[in-house]
Amino acid sequence: MSPFLAEFVQLLLNGVMAGAILAVPALGLTAMFAVLRFPNFALASHATAGAFAGYVANVSFGLPLIPSLVFAFFFAGLLGLVSDEVVLKPFRAMGAITTAIGSIALTIAIENLIRFVFANELRGYDLPIARDMIVGGVRIGPQQMQNLAISVVIMGLVFAFLTFTRMGKAMRAVADNPMLADIKGINADTVARIVSFGGMGLAGLGGMLIGLDTSIDPLTGFRAMLSVFAAAVVGGLGSLPGAIVGALVVGIGEELCLLVLSPSYRSAVGFLAILLVLVLRPRGILGQRAY
Amino acid sequence: MSVLSVSGLVAGYSAADEILKQVDFDLAAGEIACIIGPNGAGKSTLLKAIAGLIRSSKGSITLNGEPIGGRAPREITRLGLAYVPQEHNVFPSMSIVENLEMGGYVEPGRVASRMDNVMQRFPVLQRKRRQAARTLSGGERQILAMGMALMVEPKVLLLDEPSAGLSPVAAHRLFEDIRAINREGVAIALVEQNASDALDISDRAYILVDGRNHRTGVASQIANDAEIRRVFLGG
Ligand SMILES: Nc1ncnc2c1ncn2[C@@H]1O[C@H](COP(=O)(O)OP(=O)(O)O)[C@@H](O)[C@H]1O
Ligand SMILES: [Mg+2]
Repeated sequence: MSPFLAEFVQLLLNGVMAGAILAVPALGLTAMFAVLRFPNFALASHATAGAFAGYVANVSFGLPLIPSLVFAFFFAGLLGLVSDEVVLKPFRAMGAITTAIGSIALTIAIENLIRFVFANELRGYDLPIARDMIVGGVRIGPQQMQNLAISVVIMGLVFAFLTFTRMGKAMRAVADNPMLADIKGINADTVARIVSFGGMGLAGLGGMLIGLDTSIDPLTGFRAMLSVFAAAVVGGLGSLPGAIVGALVVGIGEELCLLVLSPSYRSAVGFLAILLVLVLRPRGILGQRAY
Repeated sequence: MSVLSVSGLVAGYSAADEILKQVDFDLAAGEIACIIGPNGAGKSTLLKAIAGLIRSSKGSITLNGEPIGGRAPREITRLGLAYVPQEHNVFPSMSIVENLEMGGYVEPGRVASRMDNVMQRFPVLQRKRRQAARTLSGGERQILAMGMALMVEPKVLLLDEPSAGLSPVAAHRLFEDIRAINREGVAIALVEQNASDALDISDRAYILVDGRNHRTGVASQIANDAEIRRVFLGG
């Protein structure tokens, strides 16, 4: 392979892996939007909280990767359930904008709580170090491949939940037509609680998956936020398949831009993607159909 | 004996506005009563008030003698009243099977057998069972909405303009279906623009004008009343 082609393939591969990880919190964000109808910026701190919960499970308690991820999911999910019930739910009657602003305040509060407990230092997970494979000039990390596989399994579980379970279908019904769901006897409060739990649980998983590659600190979730929002908006905020497509577009775009731009401009891709989609196709690539 | 009884109802979309100024409505077991009247008279508002979607400020609503005013829509559904809204009456991104499941959400144990019944009654739903509801034609969508309502085996069915937007043939078929459902013992309150067809299949008729009862009577008499023909039935 020519060096340029090898670099291109390398970045494409990195982009797919980054996009798959990004899809996990983007699914959470878009699911919460589909049901609760406001952009929940508290996703950032819940991603960080999940990353730290996974860190405690993995480093302090010595649990292996998968149980640590499960712990991250449940911790961030429960935090999401409680914070929504206590903080955001009262805002919802005042409209989406007010609730979104409330979610920013909430995320700053949680982030500082995490900083208070863990301080600002960088922390890494305790994982077996595996050597990268090199295939035709392209470097493939076993840890990244594992993250990709985990992300794909999580996406599969999310869609299985929505397709095959009573609660998953009820959630789609509320996203489709809340008034009719009410008439049919679906309890909107229960659905709101489940989506807050599941959505923030996915955010927590996303935070830990992002941290697995590098390290975590109290700003882990905040830094990922722009890309996660870009993914959800590009695919159509509120559309679950859209979140996956959007995450791949943003993940690959962020990597491929390295061909022509220095890494410090990387976050411009997220902005640019949001801008382009809002100008050209405001409802996102797949529209705002939930499912 | 009335299964559904509304008396002196005053209701609107906010505390201030009174869309329904004073409405009485009775539905006897096993009958079809149609509610007709000009656009904006408050026909849909009356059904929404009965189904629990808007609050009434005065008056009473009873279902089988039990007061249901002020209850949540899902509680009213559980008591055996099914309401099919005029618009947005299906879940567009869900399949027909899933829509029917959601129709029977409050009684999950009965979903399978009732779905069989509904699909036997409406073969088009069987044929398109895996298709998303948004892909259905207007007539098929109305059928699905009605099928969803039947998933709770209601004693009372409220239908808001089920024939709106349908071709005359499709509308005719729909009215036959409505009559067939009624013959199985379901009392039906039917709001219709298509007044003469509605009167044809109804036992009793209510004419609503500007939020008040204008005329009430036996459907066949209302249909033959000269003044009513001139004002409401276009000749
Ligand atoms: N969601 C709503 N909010 C406020 N006013 C409404 C709403 N829906 C209907 N109205 C008003 O209530 C009145 C009666 O409407 P409706 O009951 O839909 O009439 P009908 O079904 O007889 O044509 C109309 O003046 C209409 O503008
Ligand atoms: Mg109407």
